Amino acid sequence: MRFWRVIEPYIGFLLQGFALTIAACLLAIAGAVLLGALTASMRSSGNRLVRGAANAYGDVFRNVPFLVQLFFFFYGLPELGIYIGAFETGVIAMSIAGGAFVSDVILSGILTVDAGVIDAAKVSGLSRVKIFTRVVLPIALRVSVRPMGSVLINLVLTSSILSTITVNELTGAAKIVAATTFKPFEVYAVLLVLYASLTTLLSFAISAVHRRLNRFMTGG
Amino acid sequence: MRYADFTPYDIVLLLQGLGVTLALFIGTTLIGLTIGLLLAVVHHYRVPGCRPVIVLVTEALKNSPVLVQLFLVFFGIPAFLHIRMTPVEAATLTISLNTAAFAFVVFRSGIESVDRDQIEAAEVFGLGRSQILRLVIAPQAAAFSVGPLVGILVNQLQVTSLISVIGVFDLTKIGNILNLRTLQPFIVWAVIGLIYYLAAKTLAHAGGRIEAALRRSVKWGGI
Repeated sequence: MRFWRVIEPYIGFLLQGFALTIAACLLAIAGAVLLGALTASMRSSGNRLVRGAANAYGDVFRNVPFLVQLFFFFYGLPELGIYIGAFETGVIAMSIAGGAFVSDVILSGILTVDAGVIDAAKVSGLSRVKIFTRVVLPIALRVSVRPMGSVLINLVLTSSILSTITVNELTGAAKIVAATTFKPFEVYAVLLVLYASLTTLLSFAISAVHRRLNRFMTGG
Repeated sequence: MRYADFTPYDIVLLLQGLGVTLALFIGTTLIGLTIGLLLAVVHHYRVPGCRPVIVLVTEALKNSPVLVQLFLVFFGIPAFLHIRMTPVEAATLTISLNTAAFAFVVFRSGIESVDRDQIEAAEVFGLGRSQILRLVIAPQAAAFSVGPLVGILVNQLQVTSLISVIGVFDLTKIGNILNLRTLQPFIVWAVIGLIYYLAAKTLAHAGGRIEAALRRSVKWGGI
């Protein structure tokens, strides 16, 4: 097949790029979920200042294009005297942008928790921190697996943008291969199929996790 | 003479970039929504053989990075078919199809949200297929779709920033130029980000008003 003939000599190189994509995605997903959970708990706080700051963060990073955010960090951080590599910058930018979206999902999960459940926990004498970490969050996270999945898939697709700041992840590697072989159509067509299968697999995995976590729920 | 400072002309440059971004956004939105709507109607009427193709193509568009789609269209198609394509053409084609894929899903679930009983009732009353589509399905599907659609369009507005990578002189590209000239990334990218932010907020606000108006018109007023 012509597509395979074009790609074959560069498989090793593309796999390196793929590994970099996976690494960036895993780190960014971890960062985004941590930041998102923290922001969501701040957004559900009673303190107006805390709530306002967290809301502003979410609002700004959801309404500014990721490319602009990435350039802001990539060109801006060295100005502050922070010299880190393009890969690290990319992971940080993805975590911050992803965190804004994840916080939305987790917040709506928190808001679905029945007030009666919280009252029951209070009556049982649990402290406020315990109530939040042991009662509210487990329910909220369970509800938000599916919407969080689509945010994470989006994050994987976003990782392709790191190629614009010289990170040779999958898209960056493919750009080099396309330029070397003069066969951009074949290379990018294969790349598109690769990303589509990767995200489809991810969505299957998310469905499985959703079913597993909600196995005791009825009607979910 | 130094060219590294900001000049009043930079404002013109920014407005130019904003104009390109908005023009491309509005153009691709109109094309994309039209295609998405057509796909949803074709899907609804179960035209033979069309359903799997539509679902496969839209899923592929939704599940792959827009940047890769842009590269495929801008670098791949001209090399493959030996035709010429300008960056603006490639960007319009790609973003339109991408918007269409997302709009299709919204329109499809909008159409499916209309109760089966209502369609049957309309059939019993002797309404034709196109009458049912226009008078029964469309108003309710529209009210249902506007909310998610606004979310998608706010997202697509941000996606247009990627076209700067294939050389369209949109707002992000202007940011790149100013950044390289002035070497003041904090100011430049903050300003560019602010412009995008305001545009997105305006869009979301307008969408909210349209949604409220549509919902009013379909609300059950009693007999």
